[in-house]
Amino acid sequence: MNARVSLLAVPGLALVAGPAMAHPPPLGITGFAGGLLHPLFVPAHLLAVLALGLLIGQQVTWGRMPAFAFVIGVSGGLGILTLGVVPSLMNELVLSCALVAGLLAAIARTVPEAAGCSLAVLAGFCIGLDSPPEALSLAEANLMLVGTGLSAAVSLFMAMEIARWLTSDWTRVAARILGSWIAASAILVLALRVVR
Amino acid sequence: MMRGGTHPIAMLLCLLAATPALAHTGDLVGGFVGGLTHPVFGPDHVAAMVAVGLWGAFLGSPAIFLLPVVFPLVMAAGGTLGVLGVPLPGTEIGIAISAVLLGLAVVLALRPPIWIAAVLVGVFAIFHGHAHGAELPPGADAVAYSVGFVVATGLLHLAGIAIGYLAHWPAGRVAVRTAGGLIALAGFAFLVRLA
Repeated sequence: MNARVSLLAVPGLALVAGPAMAHPPPLGITGFAGGLLHPLFVPAHLLAVLALGLLIGQQVTWGRMPAFAFVIGVSGGLGILTLGVVPSLMNELVLSCALVAGLLAAIARTVPEAAGCSLAVLAGFCIGLDSPPEALSLAEANLMLVGTGLSAAVSLFMAMEIARWLTSDWTRVAARILGSWIAASAILVLALRVVR
Repeated sequence: MMRGGTHPIAMLLCLLAATPALAHTGDLVGGFVGGLTHPVFGPDHVAAMVAVGLWGAFLGSPAIFLLPVVFPLVMAAGGTLGVLGVPLPGTEIGIAISAVLLGLAVVLALRPPIWIAAVLVGVFAIFHGHAHGAELPPGADAVAYSVGFVVATGLLHLAGIAIGYLAHWPAGRVAVRTAGGLIALAGFAFLVRLA
Protein backbone atom coordinates (compact mmCIF):
# COMPACT_ATOMS: atom_id res chain seq x y z
CA MET A 1 0.00 0.00 0.00
CA ASN A 2 1.30 3.44 -0.79
CA ALA A 3 2.67 5.07 2.37
CA ARG A 4 1.15 8.48 1.60
CA VAL A 5 -2.28 6.96 1.02
CA SER A 6 -2.21 4.95 4.24
CA LEU A 7 -1.00 8.01 6.17
CA LEU A 8 -4.06 9.98 5.03
CA ALA A 9 -6.46 7.05 5.24
CA VAL A 10 -6.39 6.85 9.05
CA PRO A 11 -7.35 10.46 9.81
CA GLY A 12 -9.63 10.38 6.76
CA LEU A 13 -11.60 7.48 8.23
CA ALA A 14 -11.65 9.25 11.58
CA LEU A 15 -13.16 12.34 9.93
CA VAL A 16 -16.08 10.41 8.45
CA ALA A 17 -16.73 8.32 11.55
CA GLY A 18 -19.82 9.20 13.59
CA PRO A 19 -19.97 9.08 17.36
CA ALA A 20 -20.72 5.77 19.07
CA MET A 21 -24.25 6.36 20.35
CA ALA A 22 -25.11 3.27 22.37
CA HIS A 23 -27.48 3.53 25.30
CA PRO A 24 -25.35 3.37 28.44
CA PRO A 25 -26.21 0.71 31.03
CA PRO A 26 -28.82 2.33 33.29
CA LEU A 27 -27.16 3.60 36.49
CA GLY A 28 -24.09 1.68 35.34
CA ILE A 29 -25.85 -1.61 36.12
CA THR A 30 -25.38 -4.43 33.64
CA GLY A 31 -26.69 -8.00 33.48
CA PHE A 32 -30.27 -9.00 34.23
CA ALA A 33 -30.93 -6.03 36.56
CA GLY A 34 -29.54 -3.61 33.98
CA GLY A 35 -31.81 -5.16 31.38
CA LEU A 36 -34.83 -4.72 33.66
CA LEU A 37 -34.01 -1.02 34.02
CA HIS A 38 -33.21 -0.45 30.33
CA PRO A 39 -36.70 0.25 28.91
CA LEU A 40 -37.42 2.55 31.84
CA PHE A 41 -34.27 4.63 31.34
CA VAL A 42 -34.46 5.11 27.57
CA PRO A 43 -37.06 7.90 27.22
CA ALA A 44 -38.13 6.92 23.69
CA HIS A 45 -38.84 3.34 24.81
CA LEU A 46 -40.76 4.51 27.84
CA LEU A 47 -42.86 6.87 25.70
CA ALA A 48 -43.67 4.10 23.21
CA VAL A 49 -44.60 1.59 25.92
CA LEU A 50 -46.78 4.14 27.73
CA ALA A 51 -48.53 5.26 24.53
CA LEU A 52 -49.17 1.68 23.44
CA GLY A 53 -50.42 0.70 26.88
CA LEU A 54 -52.77 3.69 26.90
CA LEU A 55 -54.06 2.87 23.43
CA ILE A 56 -54.61 -0.84 24.10
CA GLY A 57 -56.30 -0.16 27.44
CA GLN A 58 -58.46 2.57 25.94
CA GLN A 59 -59.87 0.48 23.08
CA VAL A 60 -62.84 -1.31 24.63
CA THR A 61 -63.26 -3.70 21.68
CA TRP A 62 -59.67 -4.95 21.88
CA GLY A 63 -58.56 -7.97 23.84
CA ARG A 64 -55.01 -8.62 24.95
CA MET A 65 -53.85 -9.71 21.49
CA PRO A 66 -51.98 -6.42 20.73
CA ALA A 67 -50.09 -6.77 24.02
CA PHE A 68 -49.02 -10.31 23.07
CA ALA A 69 -48.07 -9.01 19.61
CA PHE A 70 -45.81 -6.51 21.38
CA VAL A 71 -44.15 -9.30 23.35
CA ILE A 72 -43.59 -11.27 20.12
CA GLY A 73 -42.09 -8.14 18.50
CA VAL A 74 -39.74 -7.47 21.43
CA SER A 75 -38.63 -11.12 21.48
CA GLY A 76 -37.97 -11.01 17.73
CA GLY A 77 -35.95 -7.80 17.96
CA LEU A 78 -33.88 -9.04 20.90
CA GLY A 79 -33.37 -12.39 19.15
CA ILE A 80 -31.96 -10.66 16.08
CA LEU A 81 -29.56 -8.72 18.35
CA THR A 82 -28.04 -12.03 19.44
CA LEU A 83 -26.96 -12.55 15.81
CA GLY A 84 -24.86 -9.41 16.11
CA VAL A 85 -27.10 -7.31 13.88
CA VAL A 86 -27.60 -3.75 15.16
CA PRO A 87 -29.54 -1.70 12.59
CA SER A 88 -29.58 2.10 12.72
CA LEU A 89 -32.54 4.49 13.06
CA MET A 90 -34.34 2.11 15.46
CA ASN A 91 -34.71 4.85 18.08
CA GLU A 92 -36.41 7.07 15.49
CA LEU A 93 -38.76 4.21 14.55
CA VAL A 94 -39.59 3.68 18.23
CA LEU A 95 -40.43 7.38 18.49
CA SER A 96 -42.57 7.15 15.35
CA CYS A 97 -44.52 4.29 16.94
CA ALA A 98 -44.92 6.39 20.10
CA LEU A 99 -46.20 9.26 17.93
CA VAL A 100 -48.81 7.11 16.17
CA ALA A 101 -49.95 5.38 19.37
CA GLY A 102 -50.07 8.72 21.24
CA LEU A 103 -52.11 10.35 18.46
CA LEU A 104 -54.56 7.44 18.36
CA ALA A 105 -54.91 7.61 22.16
CA ALA A 106 -55.49 11.41 21.95
CA ILE A 107 -58.10 11.04 19.19
CA ALA A 108 -59.79 8.20 21.14
CA ARG A 109 -61.69 6.76 18.19
CA THR A 110 -62.26 3.06 17.59
CA VAL A 111 -59.35 1.46 15.74
CA PRO A 112 -59.32 -2.07 14.24
CA GLU A 113 -57.55 -4.53 16.53
CA ALA A 114 -55.45 -5.78 13.60
CA ALA A 115 -54.01 -2.27 13.21
CA GLY A 116 -53.22 -2.24 16.93
CA CYS A 117 -51.47 -5.62 16.63
CA SER A 118 -49.40 -4.38 13.69
CA LEU A 119 -48.37 -1.23 15.55
CA ALA A 120 -47.58 -3.21 18.70
CA VAL A 121 -45.44 -5.82 16.94
CA LEU A 122 -43.54 -3.07 15.07
CA ALA A 123 -42.97 -1.03 18.24
CA GLY A 124 -41.84 -4.12 20.15
CA PHE A 125 -39.53 -5.20 17.34
CA CYS A 126 -37.89 -1.76 17.15
CA ILE A 127 -37.55 -1.51 20.94
CA GLY A 128 -35.84 -4.92 20.91
CA LEU A 129 -33.46 -3.94 18.15
CA ASP A 130 -32.75 -0.61 19.86
CA SER A 131 -31.58 -2.35 23.06
CA PRO A 132 -28.10 -3.71 22.29
CA PRO A 133 -26.56 -4.77 25.60
CA GLU A 134 -23.34 -3.23 26.82
CA ALA A 135 -21.75 -6.14 28.66
CA LEU A 136 -18.32 -7.67 28.90
CA SER A 137 -19.31 -11.33 28.64
CA LEU A 138 -21.77 -13.17 26.41
CA ALA A 139 -23.62 -14.59 29.42
CA GLU A 140 -24.05 -11.12 30.91
CA ALA A 141 -25.24 -9.75 27.55
CA ASN A 142 -27.82 -12.53 27.24
CA LEU A 143 -29.05 -11.91 30.77
CA MET A 144 -29.39 -8.22 29.94
CA LEU A 145 -31.46 -9.05 26.86
CA VAL A 146 -33.76 -11.30 28.91
CA GLY A 147 -34.17 -8.54 31.50
CA THR A 148 -34.95 -5.96 28.81
CA GLY A 149 -37.61 -8.16 27.21
CA LEU A 150 -39.22 -8.98 30.54
CA SER A 151 -39.24 -5.36 31.68
CA ALA A 152 -40.69 -4.06 28.40
CA ALA A 153 -43.45 -6.68 28.45
CA VAL A 154 -44.37 -6.12 32.11
CA SER A 155 -44.32 -2.33 31.64
CA LEU A 156 -46.71 -2.59 28.70
CA PHE A 157 -49.12 -4.90 30.54
CA MET A 158 -49.06 -2.56 33.55
CA ALA A 159 -49.75 0.53 31.43
CA MET A 160 -52.53 -1.35 29.62
CA GLU A 161 -54.22 -2.56 32.82
CA ILE A 162 -53.99 0.91 34.41
CA ALA A 163 -55.52 2.44 31.26
CA ARG A 164 -58.37 -0.09 31.48
CA TRP A 165 -59.26 1.25 34.92
CA LEU A 166 -59.73 4.75 33.49
CA THR A 167 -63.45 4.49 32.89
CA SER A 168 -64.81 7.77 34.27
CA ASP A 169 -65.13 10.80 32.00
CA TRP A 170 -62.32 12.69 33.74
CA THR A 171 -59.85 9.86 33.67
CA ARG A 172 -60.61 9.17 30.00
CA VAL A 173 -59.84 12.82 29.23
CA ALA A 174 -56.64 12.50 31.28
CA ALA A 175 -55.62 9.50 29.14
CA ARG A 176 -56.26 11.51 25.97
CA ILE A 177 -54.22 14.43 27.32
CA LEU A 178 -51.37 12.06 28.17
CA GLY A 179 -51.55 10.62 24.65
CA SER A 180 -51.33 14.09 23.12
CA TRP A 181 -48.34 14.94 25.33
CA ILE A 182 -46.53 11.79 24.19
CA ALA A 183 -47.32 12.49 20.53
CA ALA A 184 -46.24 16.14 20.84
CA SER A 185 -42.94 15.14 22.48
CA ALA A 186 -42.29 12.55 19.76
CA ILE A 187 -43.01 15.08 16.98
CA LEU A 188 -40.50 17.54 18.43
CA VAL A 189 -37.75 14.98 18.93
CA LEU A 190 -38.19 13.54 15.44
CA ALA A 191 -37.90 17.07 14.02
CA LEU A 192 -34.76 17.56 16.07
CA ARG A 193 -33.30 14.29 14.77
CA VAL A 194 -33.94 15.41 11.18
CA VAL A 195 -31.96 18.59 11.79
CA ARG A 196 -29.09 17.22 13.88
CA MET B 1 5.83 0.73 2.40
CA MET B 2 4.79 2.72 5.42
CA ARG B 3 7.54 3.24 7.94
CA GLY B 4 7.30 1.57 11.35
CA GLY B 5 5.72 3.53 14.23
CA THR B 6 2.94 6.11 14.06
CA HIS B 7 3.35 9.33 12.17
CA PRO B 8 2.86 12.31 14.55
CA ILE B 9 0.85 14.30 11.99
CA ALA B 10 -1.49 11.37 11.46
CA MET B 11 -1.93 11.04 15.24
CA LEU B 12 -2.67 14.77 15.56
CA LEU B 13 -5.22 14.64 12.73
CA CYS B 14 -6.89 11.65 14.35
CA LEU B 15 -7.16 13.53 17.64
CA LEU B 16 -8.62 16.58 15.90
CA ALA B 17 -11.11 14.51 13.94
CA ALA B 18 -12.25 12.29 16.80
CA THR B 19 -15.83 12.73 17.90
CA PRO B 20 -16.74 11.95 21.50
CA ALA B 21 -17.93 8.43 22.36
CA LEU B 22 -21.40 9.49 23.36
CA ALA B 23 -22.40 6.67 25.65
CA HIS B 24 -24.58 9.31 27.27
CA THR B 25 -26.62 10.82 24.45
CA GLY B 26 -27.58 13.72 26.69
CA ASP B 27 -28.25 14.59 30.29
CA LEU B 28 -31.50 12.74 31.03
CA VAL B 29 -32.51 14.37 34.32
CA GLY B 30 -31.08 17.76 33.31
CA GLY B 31 -32.93 17.52 30.01
CA PHE B 32 -36.27 16.81 31.68
CA VAL B 33 -35.84 19.47 34.36
CA GLY B 34 -34.63 21.97 31.74
CA GLY B 35 -37.70 21.30 29.61
CA LEU B 36 -40.00 21.41 32.62
CA THR B 37 -38.70 24.77 33.80
CA HIS B 38 -38.37 26.38 30.35
CA PRO B 39 -41.99 27.50 29.91
CA VAL B 40 -42.32 28.37 33.60
CA PHE B 41 -39.55 30.96 33.47
CA GLY B 42 -41.11 32.74 30.48
CA PRO B 43 -43.83 34.95 31.99
CA ASP B 44 -45.39 35.59 28.58
CA HIS B 45 -45.75 31.82 28.03
CA VAL B 46 -47.13 31.30 31.52
CA ALA B 47 -49.72 34.08 31.11
CA ALA B 48 -50.94 32.76 27.75
CA MET B 49 -51.04 29.10 28.84
CA VAL B 50 -53.03 29.88 31.98
CA ALA B 51 -55.35 32.06 29.89
CA VAL B 52 -56.01 29.13 27.54
CA GLY B 53 -57.08 27.05 30.53
CA LEU B 54 -59.19 29.86 32.00
CA TRP B 55 -60.96 30.43 28.69
CA GLY B 56 -61.50 26.71 28.24
CA ALA B 57 -63.21 26.60 31.63
CA PHE B 58 -65.42 29.55 30.61
CA LEU B 59 -66.30 27.94 27.28
CA GLY B 60 -67.25 24.71 29.02
CA SER B 61 -67.61 21.31 27.35
CA PRO B 62 -66.29 20.27 24.83
CA ALA B 63 -63.70 23.10 24.66
CA ILE B 64 -62.47 22.41 28.17
CA PHE B 65 -61.58 18.85 27.14
CA LEU B 66 -60.38 19.58 23.62
CA LEU B 67 -57.99 22.46 24.28
CA PRO B 68 -55.50 20.56 26.48
CA VAL B 69 -55.51 17.70 23.94
CA VAL B 70 -55.19 19.81 20.78
CA PHE B 71 -52.87 22.56 22.02
CA PRO B 72 -49.75 20.38 22.62
CA LEU B 73 -50.11 18.77 19.18
CA VAL B 74 -50.40 22.11 17.36
CA MET B 75 -47.63 23.52 19.53
CA ALA B 76 -45.42 20.60 18.48
CA ALA B 77 -46.12 21.46 14.84
CA GLY B 78 -44.96 25.02 15.57
CA GLY B 79 -42.00 23.61 17.47
CA THR B 80 -41.07 21.55 14.42
CA LEU B 81 -40.95 24.74 12.35
CA GLY B 82 -38.67 26.27 14.97
CA VAL B 83 -36.40 23.23 15.10
CA LEU B 84 -36.17 23.09 11.30
CA GLY B 85 -35.24 26.78 11.26
CA VAL B 86 -38.32 27.86 9.29
CA PRO B 87 -38.64 31.58 10.08
CA LEU B 88 -41.85 32.81 11.67
CA PRO B 89 -41.85 36.60 11.76
CA GLY B 90 -42.98 38.31 14.93
CA THR B 91 -42.91 35.23 17.14
CA GLU B 92 -42.47 37.16 20.40
CA ILE B 93 -45.09 39.72 19.34
CA GLY B 94 -47.48 36.85 18.53
CA ILE B 95 -46.94 35.40 22.00
CA ALA B 96 -47.57 38.77 23.65
CA ILE B 97 -50.71 39.30 21.54
CA SER B 98 -51.90 35.83 22.53
CA ALA B 99 -51.78 36.88 26.20
CA VAL B 100 -53.68 40.11 25.39
CA LEU B 101 -56.43 38.47 23.31
CA LEU B 102 -56.88 35.39 25.48
CA GLY B 103 -56.94 37.60 28.60
CA LEU B 104 -59.57 39.84 26.98
CA ALA B 105 -61.61 36.79 25.97
CA VAL B 106 -61.73 35.80 29.65
CA VAL B 107 -62.51 39.34 30.88
CA LEU B 108 -65.34 39.71 28.38
CA ALA B 109 -66.45 36.08 28.88
CA LEU B 110 -66.53 35.67 25.10
CA ARG B 111 -68.20 32.49 23.84
CA PRO B 112 -67.49 32.22 20.12
CA PRO B 113 -68.27 28.99 18.18
CA ILE B 114 -65.88 26.22 19.16
CA TRP B 115 -64.11 26.22 15.79
CA ILE B 116 -63.25 29.93 16.06
CA ALA B 117 -61.84 29.39 19.56
CA ALA B 118 -59.89 26.35 18.33
CA VAL B 119 -58.42 28.20 15.34
CA LEU B 120 -57.46 31.21 17.48
CA VAL B 121 -55.80 29.07 20.14
CA GLY B 122 -54.19 26.91 17.43
CA VAL B 123 -52.59 29.95 15.77
CA PHE B 124 -51.19 31.07 19.12
CA ALA B 125 -49.96 27.53 19.80
CA ILE B 126 -47.83 27.71 16.65
CA PHE B 127 -46.14 30.89 17.91
CA HIS B 128 -45.47 29.38 21.32
CA GLY B 129 -44.23 26.11 19.81
CA HIS B 130 -41.95 27.93 17.39
CA ALA B 131 -40.32 29.86 20.23
CA HIS B 132 -39.82 26.65 22.24
CA GLY B 133 -38.55 24.69 19.26
CA ALA B 134 -36.00 27.30 18.31
CA GLU B 135 -34.61 27.23 21.86
CA LEU B 136 -34.17 23.45 22.30
CA PRO B 137 -30.67 23.08 23.74
CA PRO B 138 -28.27 20.75 21.92
CA GLY B 139 -26.64 19.24 25.02
CA ALA B 140 -29.67 17.98 26.86
CA ASP B 141 -31.40 14.69 26.11
CA ALA B 142 -33.86 15.76 23.41
CA VAL B 143 -36.62 13.32 24.39
CA ALA B 144 -36.43 14.17 28.08
CA TYR B 145 -36.35 17.91 27.32
CA SER B 146 -39.34 17.73 24.97
CA VAL B 147 -41.34 15.64 27.43
CA GLY B 148 -40.47 18.13 30.18
CA PHE B 149 -41.66 21.19 28.37
CA VAL B 150 -44.78 19.57 26.90
CA VAL B 151 -45.72 18.41 30.41
CA ALA B 152 -45.04 21.88 31.86
CA THR B 153 -47.20 23.51 29.19
CA GLY B 154 -49.97 21.00 29.80
CA LEU B 155 -49.80 21.53 33.56
CA LEU B 156 -50.12 25.30 33.05
CA HIS B 157 -53.30 24.66 31.03
CA LEU B 158 -54.63 22.41 33.74
CA ALA B 159 -53.83 25.07 36.34
CA GLY B 160 -55.82 27.57 34.28
CA ILE B 161 -58.73 25.12 33.97
CA ALA B 162 -58.64 24.48 37.73
CA ILE B 163 -58.74 28.23 38.45
CA GLY B 164 -61.42 28.62 35.77
CA TYR B 165 -63.67 26.20 37.66
CA LEU B 166 -64.11 28.93 40.26
CA ALA B 167 -66.41 30.53 37.66
CA HIS B 168 -69.16 28.16 38.83
CA TRP B 169 -69.66 30.53 41.77
CA PRO B 170 -70.58 34.25 41.36
CA ALA B 171 -67.63 35.50 43.40
CA GLY B 172 -65.33 33.06 41.62
CA ARG B 173 -66.58 34.33 38.28
CA VAL B 174 -65.43 37.84 39.21
CA ALA B 175 -62.08 36.46 40.35
CA VAL B 176 -61.58 34.54 37.10
CA ARG B 177 -62.45 37.55 34.95
CA THR B 178 -60.10 39.68 37.05
CA ALA B 179 -57.36 37.12 36.42
CA GLY B 180 -58.10 37.41 32.70
CA GLY B 181 -57.77 41.18 32.98
CA LEU B 182 -54.40 40.86 34.70
CA ILE B 183 -53.21 38.51 31.95
CA ALA B 184 -54.34 40.97 29.26
CA LEU B 185 -52.51 43.81 31.07
CA ALA B 186 -49.39 41.64 31.31
CA GLY B 187 -49.70 40.97 27.59
CA PHE B 188 -49.84 44.72 26.92
CA ALA B 189 -46.71 45.14 29.05
CA PHE B 190 -44.91 42.44 27.01
CA LEU B 191 -45.97 44.24 23.81
CA VAL B 192 -44.72 47.61 25.08
CA ARG B 193 -41.41 46.03 26.08
CA LEU B 194 -41.03 44.57 22.59
CA ALA B 195 -41.90 47.84 20.83
